[in-house]
Parts: sequence; structure tokens; C-alpha cells
Amino acid sequence: MHLTKQEERILAGEEGHGKQKAMELVVALGDIYGAKRLIPIASAQISGASFKTIGDAGIKFLEDFSGEAKVSVRASLNPLGLDERRWRTMGIDRAFFDKQARIISAFQSMGVELLYTCTPYLAGNRPTRGQHVAWAESSATVFANSYLGARTNREGGPSALASAIVGKTAEYGLHLDENRRPRVRINIDEIPEGLVPLAGYMVGRLAGKRVPLMSCPPMSADQHKSFGAAMAATGAVSMYVCRDRRGRDASGKDGIEECVTIEKSELLDCAEGLKGDDEWDLIAIGCPHCSPVELRSMSKFLKARRPNKKSDVWFCTSRKAFASCPREIAVLRKFGKVLCDTCMVVAPIENSYKRTASDSGKAMVYLPTLGKQKASFRPTRQLLEAISR
Amino acid sequence: MSSTPMSFLGGVDPSTGRVVDPESDANGESISDSVFCFPFGKGSTVGSYAMYQLKVNGRAPSAIVNDSAEPIIATGAIIADIPMVDGVDVTLVRAGDEVFVDADEGFVELPELTEQHVVTSIVRSRGKLLLLRRSNKVGSYRGQWAGVSGFIEPHEEDRMAARRELAEEVMIENPRFIRRIDPIRFRDKRMVWCVHPFLVEVKDPEIKTDWEHDCYRWITPREVSDYRTVPGLRQVIDKLLGA
Repeated sequence: MHLTKQEERILAGEEGHGKQKAMELVVALGDIYGAKRLIPIASAQISGASFKTIGDAGIKFLEDFSGEAKVSVRASLNPLGLDERRWRTMGIDRAFFDKQARIISAFQSMGVELLYTCTPYLAGNRPTRGQHVAWAESSATVFANSYLGARTNREGGPSALASAIVGKTAEYGLHLDENRRPRVRINIDEIPEGLVPLAGYMVGRLAGKRVPLMSCPPMSADQHKSFGAAMAATGAVSMYVCRDRRGRDASGKDGIEECVTIEKSELLDCAEGLKGDDEWDLIAIGCPHCSPVELRSMSKFLKARRPNKKSDVWFCTSRKAFASCPREIAVLRKFGKVLCDTCMVVAPIENSYKRTASDSGKAMVYLPTLGKQKASFRPTRQLLEAISR
Repeated sequence: MSSTPMSFLGGVDPSTGRVVDPESDANGESISDSVFCFPFGKGSTVGSYAMYQLKVNGRAPSAIVNDSAEPIIATGAIIADIPMVDGVDVTLVRAGDEVFVDADEGFVELPELTEQHVVTSIVRSRGKLLLLRRSNKVGSYRGQWAGVSGFIEPHEEDRMAARRELAEEVMIENPRFIRRIDPIRFRDKRMVWCVHPFLVEVKDPEIKTDWEHDCYRWITPREVSDYRTVPGLRQVIDKLLGA
């Protein structure tokens, strides 16, 4: 890989040990993927913020590293294992809180913006078309690539942090035009109501490592958010090309190797397969974090109804969206907890719950593994009906 | 040495440095202060942090050798300052081998092993392949079935060696080489055979053998597995015919 004199200097440790480590990491990954050079990034999104996911090993690394390095571009942080203000209501113990607090202060001292959300693009860190970024949250990378037209690979937590420190990433993968071209075309003529996340779930499996060209009914921004999140959870690719977002990308039809159709009946079968139980300890909505639009539409539906409490209910959102919708939050709070900074995937829900229902395709992948839950998929509307009368 | 992919999160106990992955043949072994060889990494990205933890606990391996580096292991090796080399065929390494790692230059040496370059020509006629049984007079693999094989002499090119062996062993002059593939390495005790494979086509299935073989057969590619062959012969044939 070709490095500039300035990059060589950093690699040689002339700008300190922390920057050197970060540069080593960025360069090593570039070498693995055959990058020719480094390119500047507009922002970073750093994952691995919950104590539950990174553990004592992660704390140790972040604390040691935080004394030596600072981010040089805008860098925001993924959700934590708890709501910073309402963690007690989540059944989180003091020990977990204390460890989480150490992670936060390590990131803070490195200059990371404490947004605590998987939807940084709804909380102020929103790249524009063509911008190169180094994002680590899988659902956010797919949104950035596919909806916003920005360019990022699916970074790991440490590599996103390293990129934020040196302000650069290696130019490979989805930073390059040739890798953004779709290689499989996926037709979906009709998506039943509420099953957009499962369309993403199925597309991820079909596409594997290939960028899919989606031919499907137009989707709202929020539908893109849930579709992409599920796709990135079941698949290894962080981008799709969609007809209604065609203008966002130069990719054409050339290079399509395969055409697949997902029938409506297959989506219904998928929903049936992920149905799970009819009784739940927890109903969790907001993976990825609910947008203001989603908070509004849920509160509109629930406004005229009364709570029907059979299980705990979580609405997970970003602090930013929470602050922008006080009236909606007031409605939702009658039906459950509105939690910020965290979600059902990275919070230690296994300590309190065993069976969780969600409207998220991504959560169907992570609840059974990371969360040790019996997971049940239901469309948003059905969950709202279940928690209200 | 693990012949299966490794995750450092859950796959290695950070306080003891022991492998705790039932799927790994290194399960129960300590990797502390050893050169740890495995094909590549798997599992959660938190595995990088787990490698750092291992280092902080003083239980890290002294080096990591991989078939192919993937981001989780590479990241962990960098943040934990563990020397790492990739692009090494770790199937040639056995637990307990002495391994010399130079991560700056990016190479690995196994000083206890000897590497020997040999040619193996697979002769084909009318779709059938020639197998020869090694006689009791040869130095190695007596009674086992092989292609037309022999050492590559110093300063000899492999194709020349193949030509010479074909002439000596089965009296094929002016062989028609159909295909050659990159050398394939096999480990047998302290020896690494670096086999240079060739595919040769002859019209006439009548051949004459010399003292090195006591009989020969023409077989279909499928029948190879019915014979007790020298190490790696099947792989050589599969690769030659599949190429």
C-alpha cells in the first residue's frame, strides 16, 4: 500500500504511540484487503460500547488506549447496555452500571460523541452522498451505503475507532465503485404489511456477500432502515441498490449473475417460521432505534387506546429522537418504558427475560444468540395491538 | 496448533490461556508463550479485545500464524502486540513443532523439517490414469501406489525432472504435457514433500517399468481411493484434473 510521508510518520510513531497503533491497524486491514492507499473519512461510527458485548477485555483495552489517542474526525458511539438515566428500571445492577460508566468515560476522553445510537444518521451524524466514512454498526453502514449514498465498509469496533483517530480508512471494498455494483437481482412484487424487516432478513440470506439489486415496492426511510438492518444481520454485505434510490448510486445492471424472486407466500412462511411463542416476558420495539416518525405513528395509534399489560414493553430510541417528541413519548410511556441509549440487542436482557417479541428482523438474529431469548417476530401493528385495548 | 478456525472470545480462557473450544483439536492445550497456528479467525468482533485481555493477563501466545488473516485476528494481534504472520499453510505444522516466526519480514521457518522437491507425473491414456506400485527396492513408500515420481535434482527444472523420470521409469520419450499446477506440499513426519504435479497424455497404454516399480494399472480417476497410495496422491490427481 502506498502511504504518504505524513502517514509514514504516524506509522513510525513520530506522533505518539496511540496514533501509531491506530495507523498500524488501518494499514494492516488495508493490506489484508489489498487496498492501494488510505482515504480521508468524514466521520466514524464506533460499535462495541455496551459492557455486555465487550466485557472486561474491552474495558481494559479502551482505558489503556484512551490515555494515548484522540479522534480527529467526528465519531459517534453505538448504544450502551443501559439507559444512562433510567437504568435502574431496567433491572441493571450497580456493578454493570459501573463498568458501563468506565467504557463511557474512556470513549469520552478520546473525544467520541456520546450519541449512544445505532441511528447516528437521525441524531446529527448524517453523511452525504459520495462521502467516505468508517462506520461499524451494521445497520447504520447499510443505511449509509444504500439510502444515503455514502461509502463505508462494515468496520469492527476497534477499526472504526482507529479510523476516527487517524481520520482515514483504507480504500477497499465498498469504497470502490466496482464493489458497489449489484451482482444479484432480487424481485419482490409485494411485501405484506409489517413484513419489510423479513424481506431484509430473506434478502440477506440470499445475497450472502453480493450486493443485491432490489426490485420491490417503494419503501419509506424507516422501512429502508429496518430492511437494511435485517439484511445486514443475516448477510455479509452492507449494501443494496434499490430502484427508488437508484439516483443515489452509479451502479447499473451490468454484472448481475443471478435473478431471484421472493414470493409473497415465502415472506409469509418466513413470518410463520419466526413466530415463536404467543406469550412473552418482553415486547421490544426499536431495533434499529425508533425514528421520530415511528414514535409519532405509534403514539397516534395508541393515543385512543388503553394499556393492556401482560408483559414488559420497551420502546428503544435515541436520546435525540426522544427529546424531539415529548408529546409522543408521554403517550408511549403509558404503555411501556421508553428507553434511550440502549436496545434489546446490547442490553443484558437475559438477566430479566426469557421470551421476547419484536418487530425487528435484525433482533430475530441477535435475540436468540446474544440475548439468549426465545424470540418471536410480530409486525409492529400486532405488537401495538397486543399491548393495548 | 488448531486445524479448525478459532475465536478468542469464548474459544480461549483469558485467565489460563487454554483453548476451551470443543471443536478445536487444540482443546485443553495452553497457547501461552507458544506460537499458535490456526487457519483463520471466526466469531464475534469482540474477539480482538479478548486477545488484548490475554496479553494483559500474561497468557498471550508469543506469535500467531494463520493461513489467511481476517480482520478480527489481525486487529487483536495489533492492539495486543502479538507478532503475526499469515499466508502460511498451517496444515504442514504439527503441535510441538519448533517454529521460528519473523513477523517484520513476514515469514515462518520450521527448522526441524526438511523440504524435498519432487515431481509427480500423472500419465493419462484414453481417459484412464496410470498408477504404479513402488517396488521393495526403492527407499520410501514401498508397496504404495504412485504416479511417475522422483526427486528434482539441484539445478534441474521441474519439467526436465518430469521428462527424465518418465523416460527412466516408464520409458515414455517426448511426453506430451497437458497441464501443470502449482506445487502442493505434504507433511510426512519430519519431511515436507513439495510435489510439482504434471498431467501427461500418451496414446499407447503399453508401457515398460523399471526396477522402481513392480506393477502398474490403468484406472479411472474414481478408483484412486481404492488404492493405498503415497501421501497426497489423490489431492494431486483431483487438482490436476479439476484445474
